[in-house]
Amino acid sequence: MKKKLILALTGLLVGVTALGFVLNATFNPKHRVIANEEPAFFIPADELQYLFANDEQSAGKKYMDQVLKVSGKVTEVEGQSIVLDNRVLVNLLTDTGKGLLQGEELIIKGRCVGFDELLLQVKIDQAEIKLK
Amino acid sequence: MNTNQIFKLALTLVAVLAIHQVKSQKLVDRNGQVAFEASEALFEPVEAKNQSVTAVLDTQSNEIASLALIKGFRFPNSLMEEHFNENYIESETYPKATFKGQLMDFNIAEVTNEPQQVRVDGKLTLHGKEKVVDTYLTIGKTGDALIITGSFTVTPDDFDIAIPSIVKNKIAREVNVSLDFKMKAL
Repeated sequence: MKKKLILALTGLLVGVTALGFVLNATFNPKHRVIANEEPAFFIPADELQYLFANDEQSAGKKYMDQVLKVSGKVTEVEGQSIVLDNRVLVNLLTDTGKGLLQGEELIIKGRCVGFDELLLQVKIDQAEIKLK
Repeated sequence: MNTNQIFKLALTLVAVLAIHQVKSQKLVDRNGQVAFEASEALFEPVEAKNQSVTAVLDTQSNEIASLALIKGFRFPNSLMEEHFNENYIESETYPKATFKGQLMDFNIAEVTNEPQQVRVDGKLTLHGKEKVVDTYLTIGKTGDALIITGSFTVTPDDFDIAIPSIVKNKIAREVNVSLDFKMKAL
Protein backbone atom coordinates (compact mmCIF):
# COMPACT_ATOMS: atom_id res chain seq x y z
CA MET A 1 0.00 0.00 0.00
CA LYS A 2 2.72 2.43 1.08
CA LYS A 3 4.81 1.41 -1.91
CA LYS A 4 1.94 2.19 -4.26
CA LEU A 5 1.44 5.61 -2.71
CA ILE A 6 5.12 6.48 -3.08
CA LEU A 7 5.05 5.23 -6.65
CA ALA A 8 1.96 7.32 -7.41
CA LEU A 9 3.47 10.43 -5.83
CA THR A 10 6.73 9.96 -7.73
CA GLY A 11 4.78 9.49 -10.94
CA LEU A 12 2.79 12.65 -10.25
CA LEU A 13 5.97 14.60 -9.53
CA VAL A 14 7.62 13.44 -12.74
CA GLY A 15 4.46 14.24 -14.67
CA VAL A 16 4.15 17.76 -13.26
CA THR A 17 7.83 18.46 -13.88
CA ALA A 18 7.56 17.22 -17.46
CA LEU A 19 4.45 19.36 -17.99
CA GLY A 20 6.35 22.33 -16.58
CA PHE A 21 9.16 21.80 -19.07
CA VAL A 22 6.76 21.48 -21.97
CA LEU A 23 4.84 24.62 -20.99
CA ASN A 24 8.04 26.53 -20.45
CA ALA A 25 9.36 25.48 -23.85
CA THR A 26 6.05 26.44 -25.49
CA PHE A 27 5.52 29.81 -23.85
CA ASN A 28 9.11 30.76 -23.26
CA PRO A 29 11.05 29.68 -26.33
CA LYS A 30 14.70 30.63 -26.55
CA HIS A 31 15.81 33.62 -28.59
CA ARG A 32 17.34 33.01 -31.98
CA VAL A 33 21.08 32.65 -31.85
CA ILE A 34 22.23 34.30 -35.05
CA ALA A 35 25.77 32.98 -34.59
CA ASN A 36 24.46 29.41 -34.83
CA GLU A 37 22.40 30.00 -37.97
CA GLU A 38 23.56 29.42 -41.51
CA PRO A 39 23.52 32.60 -43.60
CA ALA A 40 20.67 32.70 -46.13
CA PHE A 41 22.51 35.09 -48.47
CA PHE A 42 26.05 36.23 -49.21
CA ILE A 43 26.08 39.71 -50.68
CA PRO A 44 28.48 42.68 -51.09
CA ALA A 45 27.63 45.69 -48.87
CA ASP A 46 27.15 48.12 -51.75
CA GLU A 47 24.78 45.78 -53.56
CA LEU A 48 22.70 45.21 -50.43
CA GLN A 49 22.37 48.95 -49.85
CA TYR A 50 21.56 49.57 -53.51
CA LEU A 51 18.72 47.05 -53.41
CA PHE A 52 17.21 48.65 -50.31
CA ALA A 53 17.66 52.21 -51.54
CA ASN A 54 16.09 51.31 -54.86
CA ASP A 55 13.12 49.25 -53.76
CA GLU A 56 12.90 49.05 -50.01
CA GLN A 57 9.81 46.90 -49.93
CA SER A 58 10.99 44.06 -52.10
CA ALA A 59 14.49 44.12 -50.60
CA GLY A 60 12.88 44.10 -47.16
CA LYS A 61 10.80 41.08 -48.05
CA LYS A 62 13.85 39.20 -49.17
CA TYR A 63 16.49 40.22 -46.62
CA MET A 64 14.85 41.61 -43.48
CA ASP A 65 15.32 39.47 -40.38
CA GLN A 66 17.48 37.07 -42.41
CA VAL A 67 20.98 36.03 -41.51
CA LEU A 68 23.35 37.51 -44.07
CA LYS A 69 27.01 37.29 -44.88
CA VAL A 70 28.12 40.70 -46.11
CA SER A 71 31.45 41.68 -47.61
CA GLY A 72 32.92 45.14 -47.90
CA LYS A 73 35.65 47.57 -47.04
CA VAL A 74 35.76 49.06 -43.55
CA THR A 75 35.10 52.80 -43.79
CA GLU A 76 34.47 53.50 -40.12
CA VAL A 77 34.95 51.90 -36.72
CA GLU A 78 33.24 53.22 -33.60
CA GLY A 79 32.92 51.12 -30.49
CA GLN A 80 31.13 47.91 -31.47
CA SER A 81 29.94 49.38 -34.75
CA ILE A 82 31.63 49.20 -38.10
CA VAL A 83 30.55 50.68 -41.41
CA LEU A 84 31.19 48.77 -44.63
CA ASP A 85 31.62 50.78 -47.82
CA ASN A 86 29.80 53.73 -46.13
CA ARG A 87 26.60 51.81 -46.81
CA VAL A 88 26.06 49.10 -44.23
CA LEU A 89 26.15 49.74 -40.49
CA VAL A 90 27.14 46.61 -38.63
CA ASN A 91 26.67 46.23 -34.88
CA LEU A 92 28.94 43.51 -33.58
CA LEU A 93 28.04 41.25 -30.66
CA THR A 94 31.45 41.80 -29.07
CA ASP A 95 34.18 44.38 -29.46
CA THR A 96 36.08 42.31 -32.02
CA GLY A 97 36.10 45.36 -34.28
CA LYS A 98 38.62 47.16 -32.11
CA GLY A 99 41.78 46.50 -34.07
CA LEU A 100 40.18 47.02 -37.47
CA LEU A 101 41.66 49.54 -39.84
CA GLN A 102 39.92 51.67 -42.39
CA GLY A 103 40.17 50.17 -45.84
CA GLU A 104 40.39 46.62 -44.57
CA GLU A 105 38.35 44.06 -46.52
CA LEU A 106 35.95 42.18 -44.33
CA ILE A 107 33.20 39.58 -44.28
CA ILE A 108 30.67 39.72 -41.47
CA LYS A 109 27.70 37.58 -40.57
CA GLY A 110 24.66 39.06 -38.87
CA ARG A 111 20.95 39.74 -38.96
CA CYS A 112 19.54 42.30 -41.36
CA VAL A 113 17.38 44.74 -39.36
CA GLY A 114 16.30 46.95 -42.26
CA PHE A 115 16.99 50.18 -44.09
CA ASP A 116 17.66 53.45 -42.30
CA GLU A 117 16.62 56.25 -44.62
CA LEU A 118 18.10 58.96 -42.38
CA LEU A 119 21.57 57.50 -42.82
CA LEU A 120 20.82 55.77 -46.13
CA GLN A 121 22.41 52.71 -44.61
CA VAL A 122 21.30 49.13 -44.10
CA LYS A 123 21.55 48.09 -40.47
CA ILE A 124 22.83 44.71 -39.35
CA ASP A 125 22.89 43.54 -35.73
CA GLN A 126 24.14 40.59 -33.68
CA ALA A 127 27.04 40.39 -36.08
CA GLU A 128 30.39 38.70 -35.93
CA ILE A 129 33.47 39.00 -38.09
CA LYS A 130 33.86 35.93 -40.25
CA LEU A 131 36.89 36.70 -42.32
CA LYS A 132 39.50 39.41 -42.54
CA MET B 1 43.49 86.62 -63.47
CA ASN B 2 40.43 87.75 -65.33
CA THR B 3 37.00 88.39 -63.85
CA ASN B 4 35.76 85.03 -64.91
CA GLN B 5 38.50 83.22 -63.02
CA ILE B 6 37.97 85.32 -59.92
CA PHE B 7 34.27 84.57 -60.11
CA LYS B 8 34.95 80.85 -60.41
CA LEU B 9 37.34 80.93 -57.47
CA ALA B 10 34.84 82.80 -55.33
CA LEU B 11 32.12 80.33 -56.26
CA THR B 12 34.33 77.36 -55.34
CA LEU B 13 35.18 79.03 -52.04
CA VAL B 14 31.52 79.61 -51.25
CA ALA B 15 30.69 76.02 -52.17
CA VAL B 16 33.44 74.62 -49.97
CA LEU B 17 32.37 76.83 -47.07
CA ALA B 18 28.74 75.88 -47.57
CA ILE B 19 29.54 72.17 -47.55
CA HIS B 20 31.60 72.63 -44.42
CA GLN B 21 28.77 74.56 -42.80
CA VAL B 22 26.19 71.91 -43.63
CA LYS B 23 28.42 69.20 -42.31
CA SER B 24 29.22 70.87 -39.04
CA GLN B 25 25.65 71.74 -38.11
CA LYS B 26 24.39 68.18 -37.98
CA LEU B 27 24.71 66.07 -34.87
CA VAL B 28 24.04 62.36 -35.21
CA ASP B 29 23.64 59.26 -33.07
CA ARG B 30 23.40 56.00 -34.98
CA ASN B 31 23.21 53.76 -31.95
CA GLY B 32 20.77 55.64 -29.78
CA GLN B 33 18.56 53.86 -27.28
CA VAL B 34 14.79 53.78 -27.28
CA ALA B 35 12.92 51.58 -24.84
CA PHE B 36 9.26 51.11 -24.11
CA GLU B 37 7.35 49.53 -21.31
CA ALA B 38 3.73 48.50 -20.98
CA SER B 39 3.88 46.26 -17.95
CA GLU B 40 1.00 45.45 -15.63
CA ALA B 41 1.70 44.54 -12.03
CA LEU B 42 1.63 40.80 -11.30
CA PHE B 43 2.19 39.91 -14.96
CA GLU B 44 5.35 39.28 -16.94
CA PRO B 45 7.05 42.61 -17.78
CA VAL B 46 6.21 43.89 -21.26
CA GLU B 47 9.28 45.79 -22.31
CA ALA B 48 11.66 46.12 -25.21
CA LYS B 49 14.79 48.01 -26.07
CA ASN B 50 16.32 49.13 -29.34
CA GLN B 51 19.98 50.04 -29.12
CA SER B 52 20.58 51.13 -32.69
CA VAL B 53 18.17 53.98 -33.18
CA THR B 54 19.27 56.84 -35.42
CA ALA B 55 18.79 60.44 -34.38
CA VAL B 56 19.81 63.53 -36.34
CA LEU B 57 19.71 67.09 -35.02
CA ASP B 58 20.19 70.10 -37.23
CA THR B 59 21.58 72.65 -34.80
CA GLN B 60 20.85 75.51 -37.13
CA SER B 61 17.15 74.91 -37.73
CA ASN B 62 16.70 72.85 -34.51
CA GLU B 63 14.90 70.16 -36.46
CA ILE B 64 15.25 66.74 -34.96
CA ALA B 65 14.56 63.44 -36.68
CA SER B 66 14.77 59.92 -35.38
CA LEU B 67 14.29 56.49 -36.88
CA ALA B 68 13.96 53.13 -35.15
CA LEU B 69 13.81 49.90 -37.10
CA ILE B 70 11.07 47.82 -35.50
CA LYS B 71 13.04 44.58 -35.87
CA GLY B 72 15.70 46.18 -33.70
CA PHE B 73 13.46 46.09 -30.61
CA ARG B 74 14.54 43.22 -28.40
CA PHE B 75 12.27 41.72 -25.75
CA PRO B 76 13.49 39.55 -22.87
CA ASN B 77 10.77 37.10 -23.93
CA SER B 78 11.24 35.90 -27.52
CA LEU B 79 7.59 34.92 -27.93
CA MET B 80 6.55 38.45 -26.99
CA GLU B 81 8.99 39.75 -29.59
CA GLU B 82 7.42 37.51 -32.20
CA HIS B 83 3.87 38.59 -31.37
CA PHE B 84 4.91 42.23 -31.28
CA ASN B 85 6.40 41.96 -34.77
CA GLU B 86 3.79 39.74 -36.38
CA ASN B 87 0.49 40.61 -34.74
CA TYR B 88 0.70 44.08 -33.25
CA ILE B 89 3.16 46.25 -35.14
CA GLU B 90 3.20 44.16 -38.33
CA SER B 91 6.83 44.99 -38.92
CA GLU B 92 6.97 43.38 -42.36
CA THR B 93 4.52 45.98 -43.63
CA TYR B 94 5.62 48.81 -41.31
CA PRO B 95 9.32 48.21 -40.67
CA LYS B 96 10.10 51.47 -38.90
CA ALA B 97 9.03 54.08 -36.40
CA THR B 98 10.00 57.66 -37.16
CA PHE B 99 9.85 60.93 -35.32
CA LYS B 100 10.19 64.35 -36.93
CA GLY B 101 10.05 67.41 -34.77
CA GLN B 102 11.30 70.79 -33.76
CA LEU B 103 13.15 71.86 -30.63
CA MET B 104 11.57 75.02 -29.23
CA ASP B 105 13.65 77.98 -28.00
CA PHE B 106 16.81 75.93 -28.22
CA ASN B 107 20.25 77.33 -28.79
CA ILE B 108 23.13 74.88 -29.10
CA ALA B 109 25.56 77.57 -27.94
CA GLU B 110 23.81 77.81 -24.58
CA VAL B 111 24.04 74.11 -23.75
CA THR B 112 26.23 73.34 -20.76
CA ASN B 113 27.06 70.32 -18.61
CA GLU B 114 24.01 71.27 -16.58
CA PRO B 115 21.12 69.56 -18.41
CA GLN B 116 18.19 71.78 -19.36
CA GLN B 117 14.58 71.07 -20.27
CA VAL B 118 13.75 71.70 -23.91
CA ARG B 119 10.30 71.45 -25.43
CA VAL B 120 9.98 69.34 -28.57
CA ASP B 121 6.99 69.33 -30.84
CA GLY B 122 6.70 66.75 -33.56
CA LYS B 123 5.05 63.74 -35.09
CA LEU B 124 5.62 60.11 -34.30
CA THR B 125 4.79 57.73 -37.13
CA LEU B 126 4.41 53.99 -36.77
CA HIS B 127 2.11 51.26 -37.98
CA GLY B 128 1.11 53.65 -40.77
CA LYS B 129 -0.39 56.15 -38.30
CA GLU B 130 0.77 59.54 -37.10
CA LYS B 131 0.54 61.08 -33.66
CA VAL B 132 1.53 64.50 -32.41
CA VAL B 133 4.06 64.28 -29.60
CA ASP B 134 4.63 67.46 -27.62
CA THR B 135 6.92 66.83 -24.68
CA TYR B 136 10.05 67.92 -22.87
CA LEU B 137 13.51 66.55 -23.44
CA THR B 138 16.51 66.89 -21.16
CA ILE B 139 19.53 68.16 -23.05
CA GLY B 140 23.04 68.54 -21.72
CA LYS B 141 26.63 68.16 -22.74
CA THR B 142 29.22 65.54 -21.82
CA GLY B 143 32.59 65.95 -23.46
CA ASP B 144 32.01 66.33 -27.18
CA ALA B 145 28.57 64.70 -27.10
CA LEU B 146 25.16 66.29 -26.76
CA ILE B 147 23.10 64.07 -24.48
CA ILE B 148 19.38 64.00 -25.13
CA THR B 149 17.09 62.02 -22.85
CA GLY B 150 13.36 62.01 -22.38
CA SER B 151 10.19 60.01 -22.07
CA PHE B 152 6.59 60.26 -23.14
CA THR B 153 3.46 58.16 -23.22
CA VAL B 154 1.49 56.74 -26.12
CA THR B 155 -1.33 54.24 -26.37
CA PRO B 156 -1.79 51.35 -28.81
CA ASP B 157 -5.04 53.05 -29.91
CA ASP B 158 -3.03 56.06 -31.11
CA PHE B 159 -1.61 53.86 -33.84
CA ASP B 160 -4.59 51.60 -34.49
CA ILE B 161 -2.90 48.67 -32.83
CA ALA B 162 -5.46 46.19 -31.59
CA ILE B 163 -4.61 44.20 -28.50
CA PRO B 164 -6.60 40.93 -28.39
CA SER B 165 -8.86 40.64 -25.36
CA ILE B 166 -7.07 37.50 -24.17
CA VAL B 167 -3.92 39.49 -23.33
CA LYS B 168 -5.57 42.84 -22.70
CA ASN B 169 -5.15 42.76 -18.94
CA LYS B 170 -1.48 41.81 -19.25
CA ILE B 171 -0.55 44.85 -21.31
CA ALA B 172 -0.86 48.35 -19.88
CA ARG B 173 -3.12 50.78 -21.74
CA GLU B 174 -0.40 53.38 -21.67
CA VAL B 175 2.99 52.64 -23.16
CA ASN B 176 5.89 54.53 -21.65
CA VAL B 177 8.59 55.34 -24.19
CA SER B 178 12.03 56.50 -23.11
CA LEU B 179 14.97 57.64 -25.20
CA ASP B 180 18.67 58.24 -24.72
CA PHE B 181 20.76 59.76 -27.52
CA LYS B 182 24.42 60.72 -27.57
CA MET B 183 24.71 63.12 -30.48
CA LYS B 184 28.03 63.82 -32.13
CA ALA B 185 29.20 65.62 -35.23
CA LEU B 186 29.73 63.09 -37.99
